[in-house]
Amino acid sequence: MTLIKKIVDWIDVRVGIREVTEKELTGYLLPRNINAWYSMGSILLFAFALQVVTGMLLLIYYVPDADKAFKSVTSIMNDAPYGWLIRMCHAVGSNMMVLVLLLHMLSVLFMGSYKKPRELNWVTGFVLFTMVQGISLTGYLLPWSQLSFWATTVATNSASAIPVVGQYLVEFLRGSPLVGPPTLGRFFALHVAVIPAGIAALIGAHLFFLKRTGVSTPPFGQEDSTNQWQGDSYRYEGHPGGIPFFPNFALEDLRSVAIYMACFLAVVFFDPYLFFTRDSFIPANPFVTPAHIKPEWYFLANYQTLKIFPNELIGLSLQGAAMTFLALLPFIDRGRERHPLKRPLFLVCSIGGVLLWIGLSIWGHLS
Amino acid sequence: MIYCLNAMNLRARLCVFMMLALVPFLLPSVLCAEETAEPVCIQCHSKMPEKYSQPVTLWRGSIHAENGIFCNGCHGGDPKDAANAMSPARGFLGAPKEPAIPAFCGRCHVGVMKDYLASAHGRMLGKGGPTCVTCHGNHQVVKASLELINEKSCSRCHSFERARVIRAAMQETESTIVAIDQRINAFKKIGTDTEKLEKELFSVRNSFHTLFHNVNVELVKKESARIQADLKKIQVVLDRLDATYQRRKIAGAVVVSFMLLAALALHLLRKTFD
Repeated sequence: MTLIKKIVDWIDVRVGIREVTEKELTGYLLPRNINAWYSMGSILLFAFALQVVTGMLLLIYYVPDADKAFKSVTSIMNDAPYGWLIRMCHAVGSNMMVLVLLLHMLSVLFMGSYKKPRELNWVTGFVLFTMVQGISLTGYLLPWSQLSFWATTVATNSASAIPVVGQYLVEFLRGSPLVGPPTLGRFFALHVAVIPAGIAALIGAHLFFLKRTGVSTPPFGQEDSTNQWQGDSYRYEGHPGGIPFFPNFALEDLRSVAIYMACFLAVVFFDPYLFFTRDSFIPANPFVTPAHIKPEWYFLANYQTLKIFPNELIGLSLQGAAMTFLALLPFIDRGRERHPLKRPLFLVCSIGGVLLWIGLSIWGHLS
Repeated sequence: MIYCLNAMNLRARLCVFMMLALVPFLLPSVLCAEETAEPVCIQCHSKMPEKYSQPVTLWRGSIHAENGIFCNGCHGGDPKDAANAMSPARGFLGAPKEPAIPAFCGRCHVGVMKDYLASAHGRMLGKGGPTCVTCHGNHQVVKASLELINEKSCSRCHSFERARVIRAAMQETESTIVAIDQRINAFKKIGTDTEKLEKELFSVRNSFHTLFHNVNVELVKKESARIQADLKKIQVVLDRLDATYQRRKIAGAVVVSFMLLAALALHLLRKTFD
């Protein structure tokens, strides 16, 4: 009897580890026609874990004080051992996470996996998406660079378009009439404590709903791609005769993570400045406004929408309506068909929406 | 009955949707209006007739604007109070008379003023000789460089011959300084801490620029050689930085290749379970 077997036996008689392994790994069956898009969730979990680890390492040297923040980030980049690598991983990681999150949402959208009984999976996922945007926005200010300072100034200023409470809301967000040290304190607390805790809790809820409803069957390669759920009682969607999660799909997940890591590290080592502008490396100066301050790529469509409309409130309300529509999509789209090619109206609207978003982003970038 | 219930459900759903739609999501609402903190001088003068707004236009293209030196930096006054911005009680100095110009600029550029006053140009101050603004401009103050010594500018007062010899002696050093400055800026653009290097270059450049007001050709040649040696030290540090970035790229190539190989191995392993 080997030492490992002895240890496993010791644990097994206490917590029944073999039963858990059988139920959650080797006996956890997934649809036979499962595809690589189902690995996006695992990539996101991995990316989030990487953000947490690199964020913790950055906290060792980062000083959340308006007078010292920029210097501390410069020191991380130049003096701390492998500080440049950790910071670049964190900065590039946040952008890549948004990208994978968008791909994950698109795959769920096109495969109709948001439909009942998975409304809660979609809603928690959607809230996670807005929280990831929030954590990116709050993290943007922390280096206290020109870009951080002015992007936050204009971002928080948008709230002033809301009638009656707008100005109070701006001051509440900033902690003072203008972006300053109190804003840094608030955004730091949100970035390192409040939002990560919220994201962790929502990931837990998202995975709980996934475990309770079971993995959805991809609509591709099947004669009947309609939703079979009747809505009469709780039913776990099992996949008898499917492939086991371990080792089959775990290996597929690992392969996807390795491909993601190759892309991620290529950006980190060869062109991390893809996500930085010159203003990112100049200390914040409230007296000098940079000529063309632009938001991160994933906010460019929102930025351009606000510029198109003469009234900022109309732009804000329109974005709010679009976001609300997306958040409530499973409650609005109640059709049973899941195959995208058998849903022409859905296909045209979603492709049109994606193209509109890309178009607005390019327009925002070039404007 | 069923129709009524469906209609009510639909209406209720629409109401909820409309109400939620009116609640704007603040999170992605990024960027529109810009807030500036420019001094009141610029805000007022920009809107005035050309005679008064031109200094602002010229200033915007100056080395002072580039470095955040506003009107009050030279002219004094209160940059935050429009009513008292030009009050002498708030330190407003206005524009200096010609003989007072070197002292006006020399409040900040102390060493340069000393060099100028000791030079042939400085000795002619008040006797028709040039002041700081004659060569450097007033509101559109340009960065001190060898370009300022040119035939068009110098010939306004005297022949260019001697100035040409001096300029030729300084040309190589000036080119090296410009090249080093560009390299430092390139590193700064990617987050490298260049503060020490910038200070060193600033010091060397200043030391070099003290020669600009000198007309002793031999001294200019001797000093240029010393300055070249100082510049070499900065170049060595920059070369080391280049090597560091190169090493990082090699390390990147290794880890990216490793990840791609790992992905291939995992893919093949996955296939064995089909």
